[in-house]
Amino acid sequence: MSIMTLRHATSSGPPKGLLWVLLCIVALLSLLPSLRLLVTALLDWREGGSSSLWRVLSSSSTWTALYHSFYTSGLGTLLSLILGSVFAFCLGLTNIRMKQMWVFLFMLPMMIPPQVTALSWLQLFGPGSILLNSIGLAPSFGSPNPLYSAEGIALLLGVQHAPLVFLALRTQLHCLPKEQIEAARLNGASLWRVFFDIVLPLCRTALWAGAAIAFVSALGNFGIPAMLGIPVSYFVLPIQIYQTLSSFGPSMLSDVAALSVLIGVLAIGIVSLQGVMQRRHALPLIGMAGRALDFQLGKWRLATEVLLGGVLFAILVLPLLALIATSLVPTLGVPLNAKTLTFAAWQSMFDSESATWRALTNSMVLSVSAALVLMLLSLPLAWLLVRYASRPLRWLQNAIDIPYTLPGVVLAIAIILLFSRPLPLLEVSLSGTLTIIFIAYLARFLTVCLKPVHNSMLQLDPAMEEAASLAGANFSQRLRHIVLPLLAPAAFAGALLVFLTAVNELTVSALLWSAGKETIGVVIFNLDESGNKVLASAVSVLVVALVAVVMLLLSGLGRFLPKGVIPWQN
Amino acid sequence: MSKKVTLTAVLLATLSVPAFAKTTLTLYTSQPGEDAQMTVSAFEQAHPDIEVKWIRDGTTKLTARLQAELAAGGAAPDVLLIADSVTMESLKKQDLLAAYVSPEAKRYDAQLYDAAGYYYGTKLITTGIAYHTKAPVKPASWQDLLKPELKNMTTLPSPLYSGAAQIHMATLMNNPQLGWGYYEKLKANGAMPQSGNGAVMSAITSGNKAYGVLVDYMAIREKAKGAPIDFVFPKEGVSIVTEPVAMMKNAKNPDGAKAFIDYVLSDAGQRLVLKQGYLPADASLPVPEGFPPRDSIKLMPFDAAKALTDAEPNKKRFSDLFGNK
Repeated sequence: MSIMTLRHATSSGPPKGLLWVLLCIVALLSLLPSLRLLVTALLDWREGGSSSLWRVLSSSSTWTALYHSFYTSGLGTLLSLILGSVFAFCLGLTNIRMKQMWVFLFMLPMMIPPQVTALSWLQLFGPGSILLNSIGLAPSFGSPNPLYSAEGIALLLGVQHAPLVFLALRTQLHCLPKEQIEAARLNGASLWRVFFDIVLPLCRTALWAGAAIAFVSALGNFGIPAMLGIPVSYFVLPIQIYQTLSSFGPSMLSDVAALSVLIGVLAIGIVSLQGVMQRRHALPLIGMAGRALDFQLGKWRLATEVLLGGVLFAILVLPLLALIATSLVPTLGVPLNAKTLTFAAWQSMFDSESATWRALTNSMVLSVSAALVLMLLSLPLAWLLVRYASRPLRWLQNAIDIPYTLPGVVLAIAIILLFSRPLPLLEVSLSGTLTIIFIAYLARFLTVCLKPVHNSMLQLDPAMEEAASLAGANFSQRLRHIVLPLLAPAAFAGALLVFLTAVNELTVSALLWSAGKETIGVVIFNLDESGNKVLASAVSVLVVALVAVVMLLLSGLGRFLPKGVIPWQN
Repeated sequence: MSKKVTLTAVLLATLSVPAFAKTTLTLYTSQPGEDAQMTVSAFEQAHPDIEVKWIRDGTTKLTARLQAELAAGGAAPDVLLIADSVTMESLKKQDLLAAYVSPEAKRYDAQLYDAAGYYYGTKLITTGIAYHTKAPVKPASWQDLLKPELKNMTTLPSPLYSGAAQIHMATLMNNPQLGWGYYEKLKANGAMPQSGNGAVMSAITSGNKAYGVLVDYMAIREKAKGAPIDFVFPKEGVSIVTEPVAMMKNAKNPDGAKAFIDYVLSDAGQRLVLKQGYLPADASLPVPEGFPPRDSIKLMPFDAAKALTDAEPNKKRFSDLFGNK
């Protein structure tokens, strides 16, 4: 009904040409890689029983891997939901102190590359722990490390992706209607009543969105299951794909493509389910009103702060300490003490031959530019998806998720297949340049940026646009004065997410990099793979420190930006 | 106006001079990053007219990348320096390599290079047994890893990830005393594969595993840094990978590729290998520190062509035995 009114009242519609260009870009970015893979997967379909798709589907190891993927991602998502929502509710609704610091620290785990997370937790437990050995608490030699298990993988996936749930919820909590809540409080409703009857139902869509993005991220995660699963022969789908890559027969590419099609279908299923839930429960709210909520916790305040502090200590401080300790020993297996302490790894990182700085610059340039471009793309796109909702657009929205849900290695192969040859017409070859990684990032992270913007757009009451339209505002005026200011916080949060995910990204660039064009994730992985865990730890510590500095710089800028733009500021 | 033209001309001249003077050579290598950088720097110093663009990755991923690039008909490297001769043999079968008879070849044992000159071994990386210094038993032979008191304490690199592990498997399969049954017994004794050799070493030095099948230089290098690890060359013998160098058939810079091959096989190139802590392929050079004398290392026989035909079934058997549980 409201859409009908909008269409009738629109005296000047959106500029059609621009919208078509936008749609074409998005469709090309999202669909081309997957279609190229599909073509490769189905190349030999005529062979029936011996075609790659059939061979992959009829292999029992595929289904075991699928089950493992579901189990670890499901359990991990559950943990992400618990951690993320506890933090979001405590920080978004109560009067606990030093909120900015809490948010800041809670966001950090996501910015640590997954393989570094795995590395640091492995350094923390187990008989080889430098930290535990140095204080004499390490478990006895040869005892198994409990992290090498399905539950270990799920635990780390949960910690890694909890900030995604947190961010999805936080944006929503900022838009809660304060009037109803205050009215309920005035009428004598308890905090719990308000929470369960008003806050929770209003956050349902955000919870679904957070869970879906956490699940899909866990499904495509390679670093954590690779480091924790392979040593105990517990394989998830991305690992299965990676192992298939190792057979160098001509059927390798189509087998890999077939497995990728499977994981793609799976992820699309999950995301469409989330879309259905979101539409069913969408409740339009009017932007941000007044100050943030802060329920008085009274004597529970200290207890809550201790709880949050304890959780953060366990999931962030301890692994980081383990990482720092590892970066200061001459080699793995040597305890850290005054005699063994060395800065050799740190020194070699600053060598003139060292790739670390170059890689850092590359990663920064790639992730910042990808974040900016995607922010500009997702604003009009979200508007289009919501105001002109139709079946083809919904399909397009699902397609946008595909490059993110494919394991990075697979997306990289698709991109190689697409861009190895010089571009038609232009005769420019992209292989071996940063541009090819940039394009892969645009395709992969569009959904990360779009999610919060789209979510925010869904909650935007069309009444305001209608009113403006009736008052004679044309399309660009409505966009500039109503839609943009209301979507800005979500757009900025989305861009920030892209930056933080891309800066540590590994699996896509792992196949696309070349010397001089490496990313920081590649440097860490290569060091780790060649057995140099000490230097890998030192580079990781540097990355975490640099990302923290970037976040602090943004906080400094925060006062010049609209409210809610920087997720860890009120 | 004329000033502008002059400026443009000067700019063009400065920009294009290096392009005329230098040719580019694209190298794909599976050497560890630091070693690859050393090799490239030394080569560029010897040949200032050639600029090397290089890509480093595990042999498996490198081959995947190559296959994808070839399938798309796009850019490919000029020269390869990768872990094992089986991969080279496979590329040769696919008619992707070019034969080149290097003048340096005559200094080498005929077993170390392809007779027609498709690829040349550059060093000897052996696979033996590494163990944690706190390990209860000091192993001396491959059979020792099957002892019941070593149950659940052994790890090995997977041939699905590592070229060296693949060769090791092919070598053991050739040995009637070991063979496939050896792997089955290892599995029965609780051995668990890691991904590559780096992971095996970390598992041992961190104390998660006491024994591991491992390449020599990693253990010997880390031991020198103080890691609690020791390495033994088992008495039945060790398997070797030769890290061969080869030139691609469709190389854009064939002269550069030939120069690169000659360089790694030259005395200077082999001394660099020694300096990096590997056993040089040139038998007249000494062994690096920490290695026993050359003649005390027993090599098990190996047949690259047979290893290639068996590669797929071997990997399949391995992944079925140690596969998803």
